[in-house]
Amino acid sequence: MIPIEMFLGLSAILFAVGAFGVLTKKNGLVVLMCIEMMLNAANINLVAFSAFFNDVVGQIFVIMTITVAAAEVAVGIAILLNLYKTSGTTDLEDINLLRW
Amino acid sequence: MSLPDFTLIAPQLIVLVTALIIPALYFLTKNDKVVGLVSISGVLLSGAYLAWMIIDGVSGDFLSVYAVDDFSLLLTGLFLTVVFLVLLSSLNTVERDHHHGEYYALLLTATSGMMFVACAQDLIGLFVGLELTSMSSYALVAFRKNDPRAAEAATKYLVIGGLSTAMTLYGFSLLYGMTQSTMFVDIAAAIGSAPTAGLMISMALIIAGLGFKVTTVPFHMWAPDVYEGAVTPISTFLAVGSKKMGFVALFKVFLVGFIAAQATVVTDMQYIFAALAAITMTLGNVVALSQTNIKRMLAYSSIAQAGYLLIVLAVATPYALTGGILHMITHVFMKGGAFIIVAALAYVAVGERIDDYKGLARRAPLVAFSMSIFLFSLAGVPPLAGFVSKFVLFSSGVGEPGAALSGEWVWLIFLAVINSAISLYYYARVVKYMYVDEGETSERIKVPVPFMIAILICLVAVIGIGLFPEPLISLCESAAAALMN
Repeated sequence: MIPIEMFLGLSAILFAVGAFGVLTKKNGLVVLMCIEMMLNAANINLVAFSAFFNDVVGQIFVIMTITVAAAEVAVGIAILLNLYKTSGTTDLEDINLLRW
Repeated sequence: MSLPDFTLIAPQLIVLVTALIIPALYFLTKNDKVVGLVSISGVLLSGAYLAWMIIDGVSGDFLSVYAVDDFSLLLTGLFLTVVFLVLLSSLNTVERDHHHGEYYALLLTATSGMMFVACAQDLIGLFVGLELTSMSSYALVAFRKNDPRAAEAATKYLVIGGLSTAMTLYGFSLLYGMTQSTMFVDIAAAIGSAPTAGLMISMALIIAGLGFKVTTVPFHMWAPDVYEGAVTPISTFLAVGSKKMGFVALFKVFLVGFIAAQATVVTDMQYIFAALAAITMTLGNVVALSQTNIKRMLAYSSIAQAGYLLIVLAVATPYALTGGILHMITHVFMKGGAFIIVAALAYVAVGERIDDYKGLARRAPLVAFSMSIFLFSLAGVPPLAGFVSKFVLFSSGVGEPGAALSGEWVWLIFLAVINSAISLYYYARVVKYMYVDEGETSERIKVPVPFMIAILICLVAVIGIGLFPEPLISLCESAAAALMN
């Protein structure tokens, strides 16, 4: 059996890569993909712990988060599409109407 | 296996069913006033059922995911009040827009998410509620989809909200791994005992994730942009509703464990919250001083108010929690009232710059008077509601009433009082503009009736709670006791 540390390490790497992408990428769609990656890192954690504890709650949690992530992408892509329509770009650095 | 008792979550179900009816109804009638009024009646129906539950003293447990007790009932009522005020101020604001069905339906689903958060007693229920509200709010911010500012605000909100969701969820998954449970009772026990490294990492991630929701500095940058870009009723909804939901989540995850541990040791996490509270209130107030747009000013003032509420998590006593709940309630009326006035004035073509408010007292005496009351209440001037709640909240920092004084958090309370004094400057500036300065015109303004109803409700609440706080304080006490349980 694969030890649980492997799964936790994988999810930590995925989370870090996703977070790095959110902070550095300029394209809105890529940022959205990076957020999905971070959510899936959490899913790996939950499933790994669920199998480790032999406890089904973690898997229920994962089903919930997958549903939520799907809904989030649907809303997110609609918003990005709308941004493209109004400002002609999905580049997050080009939008600067609101500044303090 | 028998069916669970659905009457326990009936207020949420009524709101959800109304949200599902609205789009169909709009499709049939194409009339924005009809869907608006149906939404309001759905909320009132849910509120009436909730009032019956409170009077009847209903309590119970829905599938061990949602709990109904004094805390959840009071907070559910608070969120219903928020959406009621927002709906009243929406009726006129969105009348020239399209897609009213979606607007009201999303507003109601967002509210039901908040109400589920108020009842949640495990991480799954909490997460689903949080996300239901967040996703509805992303779409609501983008509601005026041809307005580039709204599109930009929605994009910023989406990216930052998504990041905060991902961090919260990762924190939750580690929390589940450390405690082998998703129930808050077990998590509180784990936080109360000596925390491990894994637990610390998960708590840090949850603080960062939920910190975005409650606009804690340094996670606050989205708030002024989003409040400015969104339709004003939605800004109201985010500032007084969505932020309270974040605090409810923080209370549920952390506070119970902190208070359990309080008897033996002050946990390190409390110092983190104290530092966050100090930075948040100071930065919010200082940046608010230089704002020229009234919505941005209110946004920064609302960041400062979030800083005051973070004191609850630093002090972590039942009395502080009482003060926190009380301040959340009064904040709804004073900040909500101020935002509704901004929405009402924007509707009658007064601008959103603070300069546009010059000479308002002559043009609309009652509105200007209400605005001054709300702003003074936000600053904490007696005998208004804001004074009472700040008094209870701040005094909790020096000890329980009747108990020996403690010196642990005096510096934090001192800073909070100084901050209240700073905030009086920018609140009073608006009042000066309205009463002392001459405006460009002295033409009378007629504010539509739904706005006036919402403003008067807030006005009565702010003055009423300020003069007779005892019944509400005892309600908050029993709510705090129910959360501790």
